Amino acid sequence: MEKKEILNSMKIAIPHSLLYYYYFPLWDTFFKELGFEVVDTGPTTKEILDKGAKAAVSDICAPIKIFTGHVIEGLKVADYVFVPRFARIKKPEYFCPKFMGLPDIIEGTVEESKGRVISPIINEKNNENISSLRVYEIVAEMFGFSHREIRLAIKRAEEVFERFKKLMYGGLSCEKALESYKTGRWEEDLEKIKKDGDVTIAVLGYVYDVYDSFISMDVIKKLEALNVNIKTFEMIPQKVAYDNLKHYRKRLFWTFSNRVLGAGLHYLKDPTVDGIIHVTAFGCGPDAIVGRFLQYESDIAGKPFTTLRVDEHTGEGHMVTRIEAFVDMLRRKKWAKVSEVLQK
Amino acid sequence: MKVSFPYMGSAIVYKKLFEFLEHEVIMPPKPSQRTMDLGVKYSPEFACIPLKMVMGTYLEAIEKGAKVLVTSGGHGPCRAGFYGDTHRNILKSLGYDDVEIIIFDAPQDNWRAFFRNVQKIRNGVPWHKVINRMYTLYRFVQKLDELEKMVQKIRPYEVNKGQTTQIWNQIQEKFDKIKTRKQLYKVYEECKQMLLNIPTREVDEKDRIKVGIVGEIYVVMESSINFGIEEILGNLGVEVERSLYLFEWINDNLVPWILRPKRFKEIIKKGQRYIKILIGGHAVETVGHIIDFKERGFDGIVHLMPFACLPELVTQSLIPKISKEVDIPILSLPIDEQTGKANMLTRIEAFVDLLRNRKRGKTKEVFIDNIQEHVQEERVVMV
Repeated sequence: MEKKEILNSMKIAIPHSLLYYYYFPLWDTFFKELGFEVVDTGPTTKEILDKGAKAAVSDICAPIKIFTGHVIEGLKVADYVFVPRFARIKKPEYFCPKFMGLPDIIEGTVEESKGRVISPIINEKNNENISSLRVYEIVAEMFGFSHREIRLAIKRAEEVFERFKKLMYGGLSCEKALESYKTGRWEEDLEKIKKDGDVTIAVLGYVYDVYDSFISMDVIKKLEALNVNIKTFEMIPQKVAYDNLKHYRKRLFWTFSNRVLGAGLHYLKDPTVDGIIHVTAFGCGPDAIVGRFLQYESDIAGKPFTTLRVDEHTGEGHMVTRIEAFVDMLRRKKWAKVSEVLQK
Repeated sequence: MKVSFPYMGSAIVYKKLFEFLEHEVIMPPKPSQRTMDLGVKYSPEFACIPLKMVMGTYLEAIEKGAKVLVTSGGHGPCRAGFYGDTHRNILKSLGYDDVEIIIFDAPQDNWRAFFRNVQKIRNGVPWHKVINRMYTLYRFVQKLDELEKMVQKIRPYEVNKGQTTQIWNQIQEKFDKIKTRKQLYKVYEECKQMLLNIPTREVDEKDRIKVGIVGEIYVVMESSINFGIEEILGNLGVEVERSLYLFEWINDNLVPWILRPKRFKEIIKKGQRYIKILIGGHAVETVGHIIDFKERGFDGIVHLMPFACLPELVTQSLIPKISKEVDIPILSLPIDEQTGKANMLTRIEAFVDLLRNRKRGKTKEVFIDNIQEHVQEERVVMV
């Protein structure tokens, strides 16, 4: 018990950025089980963005700038900051090189991070839950836990994560599932999903683009306010997404890009989906390829497709106009079709 | 088959490869402004400059009649591994259905596909001939690279401006005509002599300035996209060495693992001081070469990268730190279709001035103590 008390006063910050949106329930549970206090750096603010943009290299993509800002913020309030090095979670795929070099980038750009970064290497052959002991051994080494303690914490964290995934497959977006986890309402929220919008749009993009209120400017909330039903890539299990990619010569190198593309192909086949919006950050390398493929496939499928590309300078007004125009277009198209059928 | 290929470095090597396999080779034109314009027009906006340039090259090659385009795929998380597919996709939507793109991925990813491709481009040439000719090509690349390294060491000290470049062009023409290994060795000796005959001025060892060029393979190797940076530096009186030469690349990537030179592993090890794992592209090599150049007594580093290149952005993030810790000035130059030559020139000239002042300051520091402080302040990292 003594150790737990010491650790209780030790704070670990988890930056509210990048794969936070997907893995927070897992990491949160894991560290809490071990007795740490977990600090969430909170949604991105203008201040965090500015700090990150100042520290990071100017040409790097907005998500990395924002992450850097969260790290700086986290280091102010916590003793350690959690910066995982994502290499892969599925063979033979990888993450974007910037994820693979993330701790190196942070060490190079944030001086005060020295010796205060917990950066496990996530290098799994096929394990979306990133829950093997090997990954978190570094935590055992840094703070003197036994392997048994770590294993127990992982097991608990994995259970929580499985439950979290189920919510997403049930139709909750990543953000809403996260909310359910934080409030502890869990499955109750699933029953509340109502789908009465007259158009359905698949909003495709990485979780750190779509749910970061600064990058996407809450595109989902704006669409919902226009009475649009939303589908996202997290709602599709990994296997289904990959099944859609079978006709490609080879899969993309990046796991989440494959899932976005696979989900896109799935939704193109789904007759209830009326259009696709691809949300991407300026300078995102994998998206230059994913976007091109999605556009090509949408052309073939004959479904409206648009790209929302944003960075730290994008104005909100212009975004709203574009979204509204897109939704209007889908509605007109749909009604034209309906009246055509009625006239026959 | 009317075969063509993208430019990267000495394109005569690729030309030779397909000539040895008895194809009809359509030599793509040297990348120009038109190539760039064509490429930019038809490529995804946020693709990096190599994709656009290669796209332009393909379109120009197709104009000249090419029916088969051969390119490399690569493995690992850099985007380049998907360029072949993106190009194919674009060509299809432009209506070029009769043009085939053959993409060579790393054999270990898919042996069967690799051999299917080999069969396709082997063109029915008997295996013993293929092996013999490939060996000739291997030596061909080696000799050409050796001569190029000489050019880079002679150019800064030539008496008649422009002579070395002129002779280098002649050498390439001579190499273009080579058919057998015997010819190769003979031509090599001749060319070597030609280079040694260039009148040069004596420069004291302590006044020589050496710059290493590191970065992403395409922008480092292809002079038409990096504005001929080696020539620019050479004309400013700077000795240049690249981190990448075709011969070494072949050794590192195509020669079986056991036969590979140790050097490659050493460079990776040096790079891992700053980037812990291999992250694709040439990021770790870039860092490794920076440290290696410093250890070999180079005075500065020019780091070239395509704008928004994924792996090199990691390197770029680390450059201020490396420059400080390793104590070597580094000039990082991102390149895309917007990059202007005048801007590049100014930055390179300023950088060379800085290196020269730094070197002069260093040699004097034995006599005057306070100069060292002055130099310390002057050591600016230009990013």
